[in-house]
Amino acid sequence: MGRLSLSLTLILAAAAGAAAAAQQPTPELGQAGPCARCHVSSVLEWGLSAHQKVGTDCVACHGASHGHVIDERNNVKPERIPRGAAIAALCETCHANGCPKTKQTASCQTCHHPHALLDPNKGRAVQDQWVKEANGKLEAFNRYMAEGDRLVKEGSFPSARDAFRQAVEQIPGDRRAVARLGMCERRIDPQLAGFEIVGSEFDPETGLPRRVKVSGTAIEMVLVPAGDSDMGSDRWKDSAPVHTVQVDAFYLGKFELTQGQWKALMGANPSQYAGRPDSDRLPVERVSWDDCQTFVRTLNGRVPGGGFRLPTEAEWEYAARAGSANPPAHDELLRSAWFRENTASGADAAADSVPLESYAPKPVGSRQPNRWGLYDMLGNVWEWTSSASRPYPFDAGDGRESETATGLRVLRGGSFVDSAESLDPAMRHAERSDRRFRWNGFRLARGVPASVPPAATKK
Amino acid sequence: MALAGRVAPAFGAPVREIRRGGMVYRRLGQTDLYPSLLSFGAHTDTSYKVPVAVGSTMLNAEGQARRDHQVAHALDLGVNMVDAYQTEGQWEPLAQLVRPRRDKVLVSLYYNSKEFVGQHIDRGAKLFGHVDLYRFPVRDGTVIDGSTLDDWDALRKAKEAGKVRAIGISTHIETEMVKALSQLEGLDYIFFPYNFIHARADYSEFLPAAIAKGVGLIAMKPLAMGSIVSFDPRARPDAKPESQRTTLFSSRNRMILPAAVAELTGTLSRLPDETLCQAAMRFVYSRDFLSSAVTGMWDDQQVDDNYKAMGRYSELRHEERAALDAAARVAKLMGPRWLPQGYQWLEDQWGV
Repeated sequence: MGRLSLSLTLILAAAAGAAAAAQQPTPELGQAGPCARCHVSSVLEWGLSAHQKVGTDCVACHGASHGHVIDERNNVKPERIPRGAAIAALCETCHANGCPKTKQTASCQTCHHPHALLDPNKGRAVQDQWVKEANGKLEAFNRYMAEGDRLVKEGSFPSARDAFRQAVEQIPGDRRAVARLGMCERRIDPQLAGFEIVGSEFDPETGLPRRVKVSGTAIEMVLVPAGDSDMGSDRWKDSAPVHTVQVDAFYLGKFELTQGQWKALMGANPSQYAGRPDSDRLPVERVSWDDCQTFVRTLNGRVPGGGFRLPTEAEWEYAARAGSANPPAHDELLRSAWFRENTASGADAAADSVPLESYAPKPVGSRQPNRWGLYDMLGNVWEWTSSASRPYPFDAGDGRESETATGLRVLRGGSFVDSAESLDPAMRHAERSDRRFRWNGFRLARGVPASVPPAATKK
Repeated sequence: MALAGRVAPAFGAPVREIRRGGMVYRRLGQTDLYPSLLSFGAHTDTSYKVPVAVGSTMLNAEGQARRDHQVAHALDLGVNMVDAYQTEGQWEPLAQLVRPRRDKVLVSLYYNSKEFVGQHIDRGAKLFGHVDLYRFPVRDGTVIDGSTLDDWDALRKAKEAGKVRAIGISTHIETEMVKALSQLEGLDYIFFPYNFIHARADYSEFLPAAIAKGVGLIAMKPLAMGSIVSFDPRARPDAKPESQRTTLFSSRNRMILPAAVAELTGTLSRLPDETLCQAAMRFVYSRDFLSSAVTGMWDDQQVDDNYKAMGRYSELRHEERAALDAAARVAKLMGPRWLPQGYQWLEDQWGV
């Protein structure tokens, strides 16, 4: 408890120091990468230091600590947490001649806080003043946050917004306070032009409606919450290495786009399996990536706000996993997916050698959804993503998301003719953007309003 | 010997060719496969076939035992790639044969079924653990029609899923070969007919494009379905062409082509220790753009002959060139008749 209290004191001292120096915390948070998601205050302390100015960041002292970064339960510690004499040894890796001022080579921590590196010449009085101011801000922050949460429970979102705004004023970089403020703002005004809200479920974190319908269409979409997840798999050559991606909240089609929905907007039906009794509910297929772009452009021209697009590879995989680290087991696939084992019909379906013509896609939504309420993420038809095929790790900033990117475009999810092992959220397939196949379709995606706190796509 | 497995050089670019014992292994295009320059073909000995269904035949027990012995003999000599047709009932016997040395053998399978190609591959992958090479046939004008592209897409997915290590096509039509290079994404190799007579067609558009693209090239029909046996009067009495009835040295042909046949006979007499078939195989082996030559072998002697031809494959001697040129002239004079009846259209295709 003593250590916790000291830590909080130092944290707030650093934050107050930052305010005193009229520094905005956000740049430091950005430079600290994923560490800032949890260690806001430590990062703010570091932001005061000479280390920050010369780019000696968290990794330099604590190691890359990938395990720690992806461990939601905090069971994995960072690679290095130096204590005692190890601190001086670590300092010595850069400061080989000891302290620039005192030439001391041991017990650096007697003068320097490991993150803030407070100048020992500033004097104890100044530091005490910082601590006092910081404690005051912490108390106010906690008070406003509690008040805001209470008001949210009562459904008083305008009042709760004011409380969270006050909290943000106390500690500007606090991610939780910013998120709660954003949530209240969206509950007051969702800013979802082009969407009709379906039902009364709202995401408690973002304040966004969980289910919506695209205005003037029958296209339903589901909110995929922001978060991070493993992407890739060592099972497949093109899906390695496994890496962590952070995905912002976005809306994703509840179902694969159907032939009926395509026809309603585009007129003609390009599908191989058109003309069947239930074809309006079958996924549209034989659409190329280029055709999908034409579709979303047309839709964006008709629906206020626009912004519809294909999901990125990272978004698609994140949504398909729905929080699960492993591909679904076979019995789960049989319940939730249409694939080779359950899509054959006709005279040859029971034969030892089933021809391609015996297989066909099935009406969307006729199997169980995944944990986030998305249907047919695996099976039925492969789904185009916006991403050009590039090696992993996924990096949305490397040009793969450009509409003019050259090369193949990535499809995900497997189809009605694929075997069970292809129905792996990590499995990637790529095809030319102008190629049409009877097993390739898509589902729509749309980002959420910009007021949602942004998250880096890759860390 | 781990040549059928992954060969990773310690540094630098992958090696193109490896020699081990009397066998040569060449990298297949840009894959990590190194098939032997001589590979065992899929066609089985017609003398031992029995009908099992309408239009379908399989080897009888004696024929199967002979083939198993020949494949095993070839593997012992260093042949590491074996081609097998499911429709000729060869998958199961081959799977049993190679099981003890699966990692040393490249299993090459071929799609000729009404079954969905993805399922066909799965069947092969289940039987063999994985498939090393898988191809389907492309006929005239079909390389970019919907059905072929559907099949190709399924092949690519099978490769992505690790069921197949290299995917390709086999075709006799040069225009289709050229189209395949540009239209079939991820094409690893092409089986195409290549022998000293068909080489006159020179594939002027296809070969440079395939080599530039790094697509693996495998010669099929290096002995023109066995027809080249007929060009050598010294051939053993039991050495018969695969499925043809060419009787080059029949009295009728001798009368039609007296000068050309005489020239051929003369050149062959200067090859006392070598058959025309061996010279023909050496012609194919000497083409360094080829990774392998796949030929049907129906007795141990054929396996040995083709293997021995490998031992001195580097450059064709003057006498060998003369014999091959003489045989090619005879073939030209005969027109399509030098080929088996079902394959005479090849002559029209190349206009040789």
